[in-house]
Amino acid sequence: MDLTGGFGARSGGIRPCREPIGLESLHLGDEFRQLVTTLPPENAGGSFTALLELPPTQAVELLHFTDSSSSQAAVTGIGGEIAPPLHSFGGTLAFPSNSVLMERAARFSVIATEQQNGNISGETPTSSVPSNSSANLDRVKTEPAETDSSQRLISDSAIENQIPCRSQNNRNGKRKDFEKKGKSSTKKNKSSEENEKLPYVHVRARRGQATDSHSLAERARREKINARMKLLQELVPGCDKIQGTALVLDEIINHVQSLQRQVEMLSMRLAAVNPRIDFNLDTILASENGSLMDGSFNGTPMQLAWPHQAIETEQSFHHRQLPPPPTQQWPFDGLNQPVWGREEDQADGNDNSNLMAVSENVMVASANLHPNQVKMEL
Amino acid sequence: MVESLFPSIENTGESSRRKKPRISETAEAEIEARRVNEESLKRWKTNRVQQIYACKLVEALRRVRQRSSTTSNNETDKLVSGAAREIRDTADRVLAASARGTTRWSRAILASRVRAKLKKHRKAKKSTGNCKSRKGLTETNRIKLPAVERKLKILGRLVPGCRKVSVPNLLDEATDYIAALEMQVQAMEALAELLTAAAPRTTLTGT
Repeated sequence: MDLTGGFGARSGGIRPCREPIGLESLHLGDEFRQLVTTLPPENAGGSFTALLELPPTQAVELLHFTDSSSSQAAVTGIGGEIAPPLHSFGGTLAFPSNSVLMERAARFSVIATEQQNGNISGETPTSSVPSNSSANLDRVKTEPAETDSSQRLISDSAIENQIPCRSQNNRNGKRKDFEKKGKSSTKKNKSSEENEKLPYVHVRARRGQATDSHSLAERARREKINARMKLLQELVPGCDKIQGTALVLDEIINHVQSLQRQVEMLSMRLAAVNPRIDFNLDTILASENGSLMDGSFNGTPMQLAWPHQAIETEQSFHHRQLPPPPTQQWPFDGLNQPVWGREEDQADGNDNSNLMAVSENVMVASANLHPNQVKMEL
Repeated sequence: MVESLFPSIENTGESSRRKKPRISETAEAEIEARRVNEESLKRWKTNRVQQIYACKLVEALRRVRQRSSTTSNNETDKLVSGAAREIRDTADRVLAASARGTTRWSRAILASRVRAKLKKHRKAKKSTGNCKSRKGLTETNRIKLPAVERKLKILGRLVPGCRKVSVPNLLDEATDYIAALEMQVQAMEALAELLTAAAPRTTLTGT
């Protein structure tokens, strides 16, 4: 079997080196996981799986205890539980590494105690294991002692290791997962246990931070606000370098005020400009075709062309479809065709000159400031 | 001209938002805020929105001109300032209309016009002593709030219709408002440039 082969190879590798205990735990965690994950699919099979099938409940316990990087008692319990089936099977067992398994269990119990005391480096697989079966973890857990130890062991993992699992956990529903440093007080453990049982919004506490519901809600609120402040900082130029909420708010307020003042200035400018162009736009987009076509300048092709010119400039300005009124002038397109060539030449040039010509013609047509206009433009 | 103004802003806006936050606890809130805000902010930067705004602005300005052209042209200063106020209000209303009612400030701007008209009618009937007394009361009662809260209140006063809004919503509204204001400034500037360039400057220099 693959498992036996794997165990055989690894047993040879691990047994001599007992110094890197973290690595051992790493391998052990993997092996135990392999053990238990192959349990359900394989009904009949090698003696090894038969061994584990026989006490299914015990095997399930084994699964969860290994997931929680089992506590001392649990592992020794498993070791004890595995031992009887082994003995009962006795001669029928052809599994070579049973003894290896027991040794591993014993070693793992030793390691577990050491883990509780010291720092853990190779936590990645054990941490990934609990996250994968985090749903089971909650259901199986009965004793506070187990949760204590499991949390302490889980907590030693770095936050980054939890990142891929976190998104999974986030969707697990109404649970609270806590990560704390191994040296957290028992008081914190107890409060976290209580909160774990209650159905709350899923929030993850970070290292060294309080975990009661008030501070969590406070922290969530603060982070919402901080996220929005960051967006505002990006929006307002020159806010990236500033540290501190008050100063950033100052900048934001200044920016809004300056924008509003700019709008006022521009509106004043537009108001000053407006009376000039009143006739221009009005006559362009109004349906006064007759007055345009019957302008005082009859001969000049410009006269015929300027509505189209003005419309074109407006088009380039706005990039939109023309409103219905100007389309009434389109039937005149056939007449204006020879003029369009010149129009386009002019359009390629300055917009200003076009519009100035347009406005000039408008002024001429309106005949209000006619003499002045003609004088100035000419 | 207008298109040249707008795309530059669009590019810088997109580049600043391209960096994705790390997946962490703060980033979860950040992602949520970004999701909400990016849509609203990108909305004010698309060409389509700018063109819609520009067109509506032109039409509204024309209507304003038609209304103001009926008045006499003698008192130019008064006319200009009065027209300026009208134009600014029109521009704000057009801006709020193009927000399609999704933001608080836009609804407040559109509603303020109705409220202002009602107030005018009411002022003709009632006296205006109430407002001043209320303002004096708040002045004396105010204790020195912490700096950040004070500034948040000021910001709330600046953004129309956001005086009693919660802090995260206020920041959201401010973000959208700033983006909308920037677009408004660009559009009005482009329009002003176009019109001042188009109109011969004879009235300024000539008779």
